[in-house]
Amino acid sequence: MIGLMKSMATTMKHALDGKTFTVEYPEEAPEVSPRFRGVHKFSQERCIWCRQCENVCPNDTIQIVQDEQRNGEQYNLHIGQCIYCRLCEEVCPVDAILLTQNFEFTADTKDDFVFNKEQLKNVPWYKGIDPLESRNPDRGAWIGEGDGEIDYQ
Amino acid sequence: MSLERPDTADDGAVERTPDELEALLGDLVVDRDDHLNAPGFVIRPDTVQETLSILKEQAGYDHLSLVTAQEYENRYESIYHLKKFDDPTQEVSIVVPADKDTPVSESAEPVFRTADWHEREAYDLMGVEYDDHPDLRRILLPETWQGHPLSMDYDQERPQIASLPEHANPLQEHHKDAESDTMFLNIGPHHPATHGVLHLKTVLDGEQVVDVEPDIGYLHRCEEQMAQNGTYRHQIMPYPDRWDYISAGLLNEFAYARAAEDLADIEVPEYAQVIRTMGAEMSRIAAHMLALATFALDINGDFTATFMYAINDRERVQNLLEDLTGQRLMFNYFRLGGVVWDLPEPREEFFSKTRDFLDQLPESIEEYHNLITSNEIFQMRTIDTGVLPPEVAKNYGATGPVARGSGVDYDLRRDDPYGYYDELDWDVVTEDGCDNFSRLLVRMREVEESAKIIEQCVDLLEDWPEDERNIQANVPRTLRPDDDTEIYRAVEGAKGELGIYIRSDGTDKPARFKIRSPCFSNLQTLPEMANGEYIPDVVAALGSLDIVLGEVDR
Amino acid sequence: MGTAPAQLFPEFLVDTFGLPGVLGEVVASLIGAAVVANIILAFSGVAGPWAKRKITAAFTDRIAVDRIGPFGLLIIPASAVQLLAKELIIPEGVDRPTWDIAPILLPASAMLGFSVIPMGQIGPLNIHLADPEVGLALVFAFASIASVSLVMAGYASNNKYSLLGGLRAVAQNLAYEIPLIVTAMSVVIFAGTLQISGVVGAQTETLATVAGFDIPAWFAFVNPFAFVLFLTANLAEIGRNPFDIPEAPTEIVGGYQTEYSSAYFVLFYLGEFVHIFLGGAILSVVFLGGASGPGPESISFIWFVVKVWGFFLFTQWARAAIPRVRIDQLIEIGWKGMLVLSFANLVLTAVIVGVIA
Repeated sequence: MIGLMKSMATTMKHALDGKTFTVEYPEEAPEVSPRFRGVHKFSQERCIWCRQCENVCPNDTIQIVQDEQRNGEQYNLHIGQCIYCRLCEEVCPVDAILLTQNFEFTADTKDDFVFNKEQLKNVPWYKGIDPLESRNPDRGAWIGEGDGEIDYQ
Repeated sequence: MSLERPDTADDGAVERTPDELEALLGDLVVDRDDHLNAPGFVIRPDTVQETLSILKEQAGYDHLSLVTAQEYENRYESIYHLKKFDDPTQEVSIVVPADKDTPVSESAEPVFRTADWHEREAYDLMGVEYDDHPDLRRILLPETWQGHPLSMDYDQERPQIASLPEHANPLQEHHKDAESDTMFLNIGPHHPATHGVLHLKTVLDGEQVVDVEPDIGYLHRCEEQMAQNGTYRHQIMPYPDRWDYISAGLLNEFAYARAAEDLADIEVPEYAQVIRTMGAEMSRIAAHMLALATFALDINGDFTATFMYAINDRERVQNLLEDLTGQRLMFNYFRLGGVVWDLPEPREEFFSKTRDFLDQLPESIEEYHNLITSNEIFQMRTIDTGVLPPEVAKNYGATGPVARGSGVDYDLRRDDPYGYYDELDWDVVTEDGCDNFSRLLVRMREVEESAKIIEQCVDLLEDWPEDERNIQANVPRTLRPDDDTEIYRAVEGAKGELGIYIRSDGTDKPARFKIRSPCFSNLQTLPEMANGEYIPDVVAALGSLDIVLGEVDR
Repeated sequence: MGTAPAQLFPEFLVDTFGLPGVLGEVVASLIGAAVVANIILAFSGVAGPWAKRKITAAFTDRIAVDRIGPFGLLIIPASAVQLLAKELIIPEGVDRPTWDIAPILLPASAMLGFSVIPMGQIGPLNIHLADPEVGLALVFAFASIASVSLVMAGYASNNKYSLLGGLRAVAQNLAYEIPLIVTAMSVVIFAGTLQISGVVGAQTETLATVAGFDIPAWFAFVNPFAFVLFLTANLAEIGRNPFDIPEAPTEIVGGYQTEYSSAYFVLFYLGEFVHIFLGGAILSVVFLGGASGPGPESISFIWFVVKVWGFFLFTQWARAAIPRVRIDQLIEIGWKGMLVLSFANLVLTAVIVGVIA
């Protein structure tokens, strides 16, 4: 019986302290860490069409079309099948593709989730935070300042 | 020091050199095929049982960790990865080649019960047939499947067609058997208590369970093949998060990182190891909190406050993990040779957040004890139900909290150290009750141990000199391990021993990637725990096993 | 006996509006019954879509329904429309019309119970439909019809989970009805009557005066042991945690109501809530002095509402905190524990009453 009473006392304590853990989304937006990986943003000005992101992508989310002079024509991203691993951002030498904190996107059909470069360019910032800020100190480490030879291959 | 094992000086623990083992096996050994982690002995396909019983009974190799099947150009091969529960660093691989045209080899099931499911999987995906196997059916794929998807001649383009008779209406008019008075009941695949898409074929006598057979494979995604199609360096790491997706991601990444780093001989900087260890233990807390929450849900039924409180605590941990890795579930934080990012700036804020969480944790745990473990009805429901004796647990290859709840003192973090665990001060938790209650208690106490580990890691990281914060070893962008190198490495995942077997073929992608899922082996024990009990006990036993179907089915 | 009970509701209507003859009495009874039924429906309407969510949210540190209307109260009509607009799925092979009658029988049986419950007064109006001499026996009889409905639903659904749920419901109700009634009998021995107004009247005296406060002679204070027994058996009778095993979603999916959807599901849901309120009403009549409370008689309806909702709150509290017992344990508690204790209580009460009187 004492155990039962303890259980009931504990739940009643929670009921009476009036604290809530949930927030009223969307009126109150949840905290999102600066490193959060959401929808991609693409910058055509920066992109050098090296196709590294397309290569590294584990499940062919990124599709790049180039003309004969290897100028970029299309940059399509199937956001619906993206697994948000951030490898494309990691390998990009010029920060042309960036995973924003924006997690708010919906569509009616799977086809709507294929973003072309215009749509990717227009992905809004979430709360105006540039996620690159939080990653910059570490990007140096990734490109490699350790000892020994670095193999860029 | 707390990490010392209690004395177990029986014959089983005696370490034998590979040559001594070869002498012990005598004529049974046809050839040697050593792996990076263990000596490998090639034997004839009709001497599997003999060899394994010698190793089990005379040399103390009582843990069949994994059965890997693979196909070469000229033969099939089954590998039995054996270990000792007393000392998992003592390993041996038994390699059983089978004929290319008619791949048949003897089943290990009579020696190790756990081989039952492992060999069924090998048969299902690779097509190796096992003589003497009690029930050699497909396990992950539907019965109607044609071909074996991982074998070389499998045609991926061919559609799978199930003919009409095989898909006839299962709701037949009359199922009644005049002889028996039992009832057949399908629990799942859509049932509130199966923790995912699990199907239990249950035979009931009234409310009592006469027989239960788990039917798995509903969430099979062929993760092994996905890994075989990815490059070592980048493309595999995002996927371990998706095996055991209950935020145990970093633990799974640890498994791949450990296997691949040992394969490619990569040295990980100490600083990165500390971060890895800390992150992995955070994942463990998150995973155990969910196990606790859902177990309370299974017992309390309906909707319970305990569930929400545990989810709250899990959310707190996930906030920390999000700060660290950038995601809440699918972290993709580890890289071969280190981690992708240093701790988030400002570091002090991260440390103080972590400390706040750790400070509040004992209070929460006290609350859970008040809510569930001290509750008489809860005790009535869980104590002495779902009993799994230690010998049975070992025979089934059960690991993790399931084994430790049965008093099997086995934890790879201590027994086969990796990461930074052997430098830290913490204890392995065991309970001797062998029942649902013990398994719950083990998880709750492990959360406390994980908190200890995190605290020590935070202390270490805080004092780490700024110019020695090396998070990444120099690793080539393209990794090509030597041709035909094989390795099997395991780590202590949230549910138990999570192992990875990799065979390289000189390219930048693995030739064979095999996952040893702890849930797969643990789930196999369910009939042992559930037969003869009531339906609510089956649900409780399933909850206490804490399976994740993403990992069972892969 | 305390003060003479006020005029019953239908009689009051007859007198006030001068309704003539037998026809007048029938009309008055129908009006009275409609009023009582609507009060109960309003209770359930508030409890189901709104109060239950709010209470559960408070126990689990969440925010619940607060989007539509003040305090989210408009969720009540919204939920009603939503539920009724859903498709009624009739599974293959259900045994009609049993399958259709069951969801009607459950709320109906619980509603019938309220016909003899005194619900207190609003001004001169005494909301009490009938006061037969065997009122207490009648209300238990009505309440136990519910288990028939559960068996019907379980058996007719052509679903094994439903069947198990129906079986469990019978086993549970058999095991707990007897202790429930035997415990109530001990109160009847005190009161010396089965008439509900008599049982309530017996509780109006003052038991003791502590620091200027009169403690009424509610049977909960006179015999707390019987009260706890009754409360426990009552939880089982209405199938709430920790005795919600006929539904047991994590074990047998939804038990007898697994196959029901749309309006039928609403009826079941409604029936359960009405049943909870009936349980609360019986508890307050038998142990908590009916609708009595501090203040003038004319506002005693408020006290009735407070007590009934208090019981509802208690069931929700238990739901948040107490694990479900297993079916065999439940039966064991019922037959080996509760039954023995309730008879012991009855004998003891009889002896005490016999010696004193």
